[in-house]
Amino acid sequence: MFYTLLAGLLVAFAAPLLFRWLGRYVVLPLALLPLCIFIYFCAQVSQVLGGTRIIASTSWVPELGINLDFYLDGLSLLFALLISFFGFLIMIYAYGYLEKHPLLGRFYMYLTLFMTAMLGVVTADNIFCLFLFWELTSISSYLLIGFNNDQIESRTSAWQALLVTGGGGLALMGGLILLSLASGHFTFSGMVLSSNISLATHPLYLPALLLILLGCFTKSAQFPFHFWLPNAMAAPTPVSAYLHSATMVKAGIFLLARLSPVLGGTETWMTILLVVGGTTAVVGALLALQQTDLKAILAYTTISALGLLVMMLGIGSVLAIEAMLVFLLAHALYKGTLFLVAGVVDHSTGTRQVNDLKGLGRSMMYTGIAATLAALSMAGVISFFGFIGKELLYEASLESEVFNWLTLGVNMLAGLTFVAVAILMSYRLFWSKTSKPTALQHQTSPYLYLPPLVLGLLGLVFGLMAGLLPAPVLEKAALSILPSQKVQFELAIWHGFTPVLGLSMLTLVLGYLLYRFLPALHSAAPRLKKVYRYGPDSMYHTGFKSFQKGAKVFINTLQNGYLRNYIIYIVLFFCGLMLFALWRDAPHVNLGARRELLDQIELHELVLFVLVIAALFYILNTRSRLTSIVVMGLVGYSAALFYILYGAPDVAATQLLIETLTVVIFVLLLHKLPAFWYLSHQFRKYKFIAISILFGSVMTYTLLLVQEFAVESELKEFYGNASFLEAHGRNVVNVILVDFRGLDTLGEITVLAVAAVGIFALLRLNPEKGGKP
Amino acid sequence: MKTIILSTAIRLLTPVFLLFSVYILLRGHNHPGGGFIGGLIGSIAFVFHVLAHGANATARVFFSLTLYHHPRQSGHSRTRYFMQIMNANIRGRRKGRNMENRWNYIFVRVRPVYLIAFGLLLAVASGTIGLLAGQPFMSAFWLDVHLPVLGSLGTPLLFDAGVYLLVMGMVLKMIFTMSKE
Repeated sequence: MFYTLLAGLLVAFAAPLLFRWLGRYVVLPLALLPLCIFIYFCAQVSQVLGGTRIIASTSWVPELGINLDFYLDGLSLLFALLISFFGFLIMIYAYGYLEKHPLLGRFYMYLTLFMTAMLGVVTADNIFCLFLFWELTSISSYLLIGFNNDQIESRTSAWQALLVTGGGGLALMGGLILLSLASGHFTFSGMVLSSNISLATHPLYLPALLLILLGCFTKSAQFPFHFWLPNAMAAPTPVSAYLHSATMVKAGIFLLARLSPVLGGTETWMTILLVVGGTTAVVGALLALQQTDLKAILAYTTISALGLLVMMLGIGSVLAIEAMLVFLLAHALYKGTLFLVAGVVDHSTGTRQVNDLKGLGRSMMYTGIAATLAALSMAGVISFFGFIGKELLYEASLESEVFNWLTLGVNMLAGLTFVAVAILMSYRLFWSKTSKPTALQHQTSPYLYLPPLVLGLLGLVFGLMAGLLPAPVLEKAALSILPSQKVQFELAIWHGFTPVLGLSMLTLVLGYLLYRFLPALHSAAPRLKKVYRYGPDSMYHTGFKSFQKGAKVFINTLQNGYLRNYIIYIVLFFCGLMLFALWRDAPHVNLGARRELLDQIELHELVLFVLVIAALFYILNTRSRLTSIVVMGLVGYSAALFYILYGAPDVAATQLLIETLTVVIFVLLLHKLPAFWYLSHQFRKYKFIAISILFGSVMTYTLLLVQEFAVESELKEFYGNASFLEAHGRNVVNVILVDFRGLDTLGEITVLAVAAVGIFALLRLNPEKGGKP
Repeated sequence: MKTIILSTAIRLLTPVFLLFSVYILLRGHNHPGGGFIGGLIGSIAFVFHVLAHGANATARVFFSLTLYHHPRQSGHSRTRYFMQIMNANIRGRRKGRNMENRWNYIFVRVRPVYLIAFGLLLAVASGTIGLLAGQPFMSAFWLDVHLPVLGSLGTPLLFDAGVYLLVMGMVLKMIFTMSKE
């Protein structure tokens, strides 16, 4: 399994190169990869169905429990098959969709990267491993949404998606770590096995749960984080179909399902999931009805469907989990198809507005058939897989212990919307009678209509052979969500005349009525704009803007371009920290006892001291730059002499040279500076003097304190001995610099090199004038 | 600041500074000195040259090289051609002939950034030697020879040479950039 993912990564990064070699035939190797992965996972089916769990582990940082652990159970297998099969179709579709795009190689790189990351998410066992792939899906989603990077809406949407899902990812990381602390395991399999020790009473349970839910809800576009998903439709359609309907947005659902044996079953879990899921389903459905853009409609119905899935997880009974899994698969199949169809329509006609599209069935026969198949499944017409999903949803909500009428109502509302949208997507677009069918700009290529056709047909095949094909895998998947329950799936099209069948029929009829009212709803939609001004999307934008403004104010205050202010901030902050530390827990220096130090002062020391003090007073009062520089040099040289007196020749030599160079550089720059002039008030000078005196006294006091408590250290002795014997050098300072602590020096000289480049950029590039060097 | 005294003194002192800086670099392991100080001293040699003659002159004199060549005509012997090229590059330059008109030439310029990069490369390379031998990064290796002035040879010396070049490149970069403005 590890090698599967590795192959994915390698192929992803080789994609631009392959594109250069193969041109647009790059699709061959890149479509082959998901196909191979699909076959690989198919080969594991029998083993997983037999009840064995396939485990693959590679140690990474075993000391911290960070390992690349993977395992494949029913749930992982279901998702892995879905991801790889979809991946295969999407790769082919993308070939047709972006046929002449110059950056096709890059697109395939992102897409393959995403697929690999997603496979990693669903097969990960270790929490860190999961987090890694989780974030990788966010990043590749960001890259894919922003693929048309010359459009501003693409860029803002990509940012939004990254910030929302990435922020959720951080919360998730915290939650997972808390969870591992609470359960004592770094792996999901370990957590599940030990979950009979109830986590629910653990004090860390609630924070862990909330953080993890935050991560899952942002990823799966639950209310109030749903707003990024419709905006993410700025991505090319293959991406919308793959990431934002079939796979990535279901990562949150996947993780909830994965953790439901560990975290689930409590009242908190149930309430939050039901409320959030229900709200999302209703909001998504209501918003979907107001849209006229094909992709926006599909995006909002996707949000609604995700809400239903979360709700089912919240109920958590065997039937609800069964409904969740069946609906998940059905939704992936039909929604993927519809997105692809929307893409074909957009590609061929150049518009996605519902009102401009009519009677396309004649010119786009196969696409129309695919859309119809998917729509029938979406509406839940008998004999399609979606029908089974819908029946199970109704059954599960009727059987639910809490809020059963409410959940049924939510389900009905979402169901009605789905029916209306399904009629819109198939009948209205393709088969409605019209005298003027929308003209095509060009014919559709088979690469574009074959993938949706395959998916649409699968919806029918799965429906007809429900007990045969998907049921065993779904059953195993349910078993991984509910390990302690007895799970038996009996999926069949015909249950006899039950109340649920009646509900299904009612949904179809009411859904048709709703479809008739759609034009009225569309015309009423603009009136609701006022409400949206307080919606989460505009809240996000307001927050983002004020964040930028705040950052600007902050930077303008602190980083205002005046060197003196920077130094003041650094010095004052340092003094504050020092004084705080001294005030809090340092012993006091007995200054009286230290006075004897003054008696030991030698004459030459006194001379140097007087020299420095005199130079300082001179600098404070001079008005000539040249003089002050030279006098500063004098101070520096005196300091160097101090170093020599106290036996640090290396430091003294460096100080001398640096002083020399400083003076020289100043002289070089001097004639470029304007004449010296007191612009600010004299008072400011005294402020600087006060700060300097404060800094000096704090430093002196600290030094005295340090001297009083000599630190017992073997370092001096060690370096003294080892320097010649082991490092062949008698100059201990230099040996430490280049050998013992060579890595530090390497870091320092790297900083120096970067600083050189920075100085060059600051001085020569002159960005304000827009000039080049 | 073009004064005769300064420029004459600089002409004499620059090689002395440079030699001294290399000496400081080499003795650093046993006596006060080392790559950092050596690099500073070495750069001071050029800094004073910049002060006396300007940055462009310094770059032309110390950090650039013109290589002359011309295409070999068929029938001429390779040895003779090689000798001609050598002659033109060594003697021709010294006599200050106006070679640009008659010969093709390549103008090679060593920018201070190259020194920085090369210094960093040397420093990293000296650490990598230990890595290649299966020991931790930056493990020291010493040759078993003892030379009169250089002392023992080992990777720390290489590292120090890297520091030397980097510091020198850094100062030169600053000086060149500032004085050209």
